[in-house]
Amino acid sequence: MTPAVQIPIEKWTGKVREITLGATAADGGTRAKTVTVGGENTLPFLSFEGSIPHSPAVALEIQDHYPNDWSPLLKEYWGDLLRDPAAWARKAEEVGADIIVLKLISAHPEGDNTDAAHAAATVKAVLGATGLPLVVLGPGQADKDNEVLVAVAEAAKGERLALGNCEDKNYRTVVAAALAHGHLVVAKTPIDVNLAKQLNILITDMRLDLDRVLMDPTTGALGYGLEYSYSVMERLRIAALTGDSMTQQPLICTVGEEAWRAKESKVNTGVPAAWGDWKKRGIHWEVLTASTQLLAGANIVVLRHPDSVARIKQTIASLMAE
Amino acid sequence: MSRYIATRAIRGANTVVAEAEALLKAAIADLGPDTPVAFTNTAYFLPVNLAFMGRQIAKLSDMVPALEDAKRLLHPVPPENMWVPYLGETMDSGMATLLAEEIIEGIRFARGQEPQPITWDGTYIPTANFVTSDPMAKAGKRMNGPIDDIQLRAWGIQLVDGRMPGFAALIGCAKSTEVAVQIVRELQQRSILVFLSGSVNGRSIIHQLMEAGVEMGYDTYIIPFGTDTMATIYPLGFAARSALTFGGLKPGMPREILQYNRARVFAFAIALGEVDDLKYATAAGAINYGFPVVADTVIPQILPTGITPYEHVISMPFDDIEGKDDIERARKLVQRAIEVRGVKIKVTEVPIPVPYGSAFEGERVRKSDMRVEFGGKSSRCFEYLRMAPFDSIEDGKITVVGPDFDQIPPEGFMDMGIVVEVAGRKMQEDFEPVLERQIHYFVNGASGIQHIGQRDITWIRISKAAADKGFKLEHFGKILYARFHADFGAIVDKVQVTIYTDKAKMEEWLAKARQAYTHRNERLAGMTDDSVEEFFSCTLCQSFAPNHVCVISPERLGLCGAYNWLDCKASNQINPTGPNQPIKKGTCIDANFGVFEGVNSFVQQASHQAVQDVSMYSIMNNPMTACGCFECIAMVIPEANGVMVVSREDPSMTPAGMTFSTLAGVAGGGLQTAGVMGHGKYYLTSRKYLSSDGGFKRVVWMSSFLKESMKEEFKAVAEREGDPNLIEKIADERVATSVEQLLPFLEEKAHPALTMPPLF
Repeated sequence: MTPAVQIPIEKWTGKVREITLGATAADGGTRAKTVTVGGENTLPFLSFEGSIPHSPAVALEIQDHYPNDWSPLLKEYWGDLLRDPAAWARKAEEVGADIIVLKLISAHPEGDNTDAAHAAATVKAVLGATGLPLVVLGPGQADKDNEVLVAVAEAAKGERLALGNCEDKNYRTVVAAALAHGHLVVAKTPIDVNLAKQLNILITDMRLDLDRVLMDPTTGALGYGLEYSYSVMERLRIAALTGDSMTQQPLICTVGEEAWRAKESKVNTGVPAAWGDWKKRGIHWEVLTASTQLLAGANIVVLRHPDSVARIKQTIASLMAE
Repeated sequence: MSRYIATRAIRGANTVVAEAEALLKAAIADLGPDTPVAFTNTAYFLPVNLAFMGRQIAKLSDMVPALEDAKRLLHPVPPENMWVPYLGETMDSGMATLLAEEIIEGIRFARGQEPQPITWDGTYIPTANFVTSDPMAKAGKRMNGPIDDIQLRAWGIQLVDGRMPGFAALIGCAKSTEVAVQIVRELQQRSILVFLSGSVNGRSIIHQLMEAGVEMGYDTYIIPFGTDTMATIYPLGFAARSALTFGGLKPGMPREILQYNRARVFAFAIALGEVDDLKYATAAGAINYGFPVVADTVIPQILPTGITPYEHVISMPFDDIEGKDDIERARKLVQRAIEVRGVKIKVTEVPIPVPYGSAFEGERVRKSDMRVEFGGKSSRCFEYLRMAPFDSIEDGKITVVGPDFDQIPPEGFMDMGIVVEVAGRKMQEDFEPVLERQIHYFVNGASGIQHIGQRDITWIRISKAAADKGFKLEHFGKILYARFHADFGAIVDKVQVTIYTDKAKMEEWLAKARQAYTHRNERLAGMTDDSVEEFFSCTLCQSFAPNHVCVISPERLGLCGAYNWLDCKASNQINPTGPNQPIKKGTCIDANFGVFEGVNSFVQQASHQAVQDVSMYSIMNNPMTACGCFECIAMVIPEANGVMVVSREDPSMTPAGMTFSTLAGVAGGGLQTAGVMGHGKYYLTSRKYLSSDGGFKRVVWMSSFLKESMKEEFKAVAEREGDPNLIEKIADERVATSVEQLLPFLEEKAHPALTMPPLF
């Protein structure tokens, strides 16, 4: 007989906002399905304590340019698909992604510096190739982000894309584009609770409803600041549950980008033999980073390797099981 | 409210509504009630009627109830001898005017008369986003008509994100073609959209610009809507649609839509030439949105703030504007209009011949690389920033009074004074020193320029390389103009810089500056915690000390030394959602310890309940927490009945048995530890320094670095404490690095702490 253990139950007053990505034809978009995240009123996976209406979602990252700097392991898996964002997106859907994250890296001024029309065309092509909701990220340079995201917002009117990144420097333009064309934004801040809150306040101040804002608190990979970002996410989530309205946005974490940047996953030359099998190590790196972020409160984890997708989905399923 | 304006606006409204009614009757009779009515390429029907009344006008008969809305807003013209507050009536009339004007434009569309045909020798080729099938428009013989929805979004995004400061509606006809062109150019330069309508005696600013060959269209930000006043409805419809598109507002929410425009759409009207009844009535409509009107003729003014954020109606008779010619007058007219609406100007580049950026801040210019220096051993240099009345300075004016440095031999020197005058709606005299200190960072950002010091001990060097590239004295002005606008735009609207090298002038201003420095010192000295209602928080360091909150008061600056109370006040104006928030002191719970209800409740919330109570003036009883950035650490030495203060610069052992870096672990991290406290250097000189524990006299040991670097300040503190030799009685690392060494020293010097009441 199991001894009678009293499980302490925490009563939270707040709740994470429920946010839907993507719009089907009925809502003015063309997505085959939408994804809703958030809505929980307890800490991650503590289903005995509160309700968690939606499982965390798993996204796969694709880019509009051959990712030269990616780990050979990723290049080996995806092969020629890396040269065709639409085909890449289709495959990502096949291997089980819930969401596609498209990074418009080719627009970077220090790279190909492709223009707004190119970005819009790429997004159109990807939308045509997959029925999944889309997150579209600019190249990461404020002026260029503004230029391409405005065009993307217009080209994909009604699709409820999430546009990012909305940062301190360029949030105004991205928010305005989202306002004008009915999209969401990804609000990204550098591992800091107060900056995250402040950006949400500034975005609200422009009158974008908070049910259209995702928060990216910045991810640190295993061995590269994971505990730091864990701590910030945990604090954000506790603040959300204790009723701080400006921290109640679902969290999106760019796990793949960070985990595959680590030396341990990226390369296999000149590393100690004790590190073991390279491929296993790379996947472990991504999976461990992702599962830790999920435990800290991530609502969307963005991955790069399909094997990690399978394993993380399994992890989520077992943690969500009653 | 001006009775004159009210009368004319109310009369104008009555006339235009009656005209609309007659036109509608005729149109329904001629064309039939079901004739479709639509503004081209917009999904917002007739946007003003849609936004404010929630009416979707799609055919002529829909206009009948819409016109009833307008009629309900009409009021009788006030009789000759009646003086009452007319504001409500005037605003209603303005709104009625807009509804009626839009109905009239709608009827004209139904009749094919809009966009207005160009009947004179001129053309307008619209750069629209759609292809029109209208042969007249193709031939360039029509005005623009309503702005299409695609352009609305494109411009709207820029207006919302601030890249475009606002729009200007120019109504009527300028004094001359030359003036018209100048006004438009001034606005264009500032990326302000220019919307044109109206005429005076049949002549419009549109005619003037066409004659001058000014290119108009979406690409050039200049849109001609029509040569009558009615066409002004298109810009106002544009503003209403912006609120619907970007404000998340729904049709039929007049109050919210007007408030949105008042707060966020930086628009204003300039009435050029004579103002008739219809113009007054339309202007009243614009004022509903919070858009002020500036007229270049003599009209009564409405100056008090109310519906518009600042003045409502300003009269600037063109020929009376001070200026050497019409061009300068035009420039001043535009400048004034921008001020009245509070449009913020964005300056993104620093226009100087050398590279500029924070990467150059730490640069040194050696004597042998130096072209010229100001200040230092051989010459004098000062910088002085002061607040000036709004009308007394001209934004962007940079003057060098006296010779430039080209006559000075290489590696030579000369006297210079930099005087910056700023004006702003939110500027306060207290911000002068805060802004003045920025000059150091701003000037240092230029490659090849070295800036040291401040006030009248400023020392600036220009390198040979910078001089060779063409750096001149005026470029100091350009740097300061650009940076003050870019970084302090929230409090500064106008910046004027004067550089004095002329001996007499330089000395005159140096005297003025010194007077101001003295005045500021006195003001700072006189500023006490008791004299203010608010302290400020600083939570900048919560990124690494999540539960730490600095409470900054006039007599206790931030523990990092970087933020005093005035800095926080200015920072809060610039960034209202940032880390420096006002804390209402609230009830004083304990004056001795410095415990305030408001401070406690703020700290509880901002420390996430980690800290419950804070004493502002005690190290023993709930001392303030610290992040880790403190300049000094104070720690109680129980054996000596006093405290020791070790500074960050001091690596030696202390009587506490720990060095600064070991102590930092105890003092930081947002933990409240009785007997240990991190603080700023200058807190040592405050009257409130540990005042509940006995004050500065408790200091028994202090790093010699502090004693040396703040010699003068401590001398004053010792005098204040009534013990001129106090500093010599305080031990330092040169005489004591343990309690055993400390106590005999204190005994020998008869340090007052030994006879003070016990700390515990």
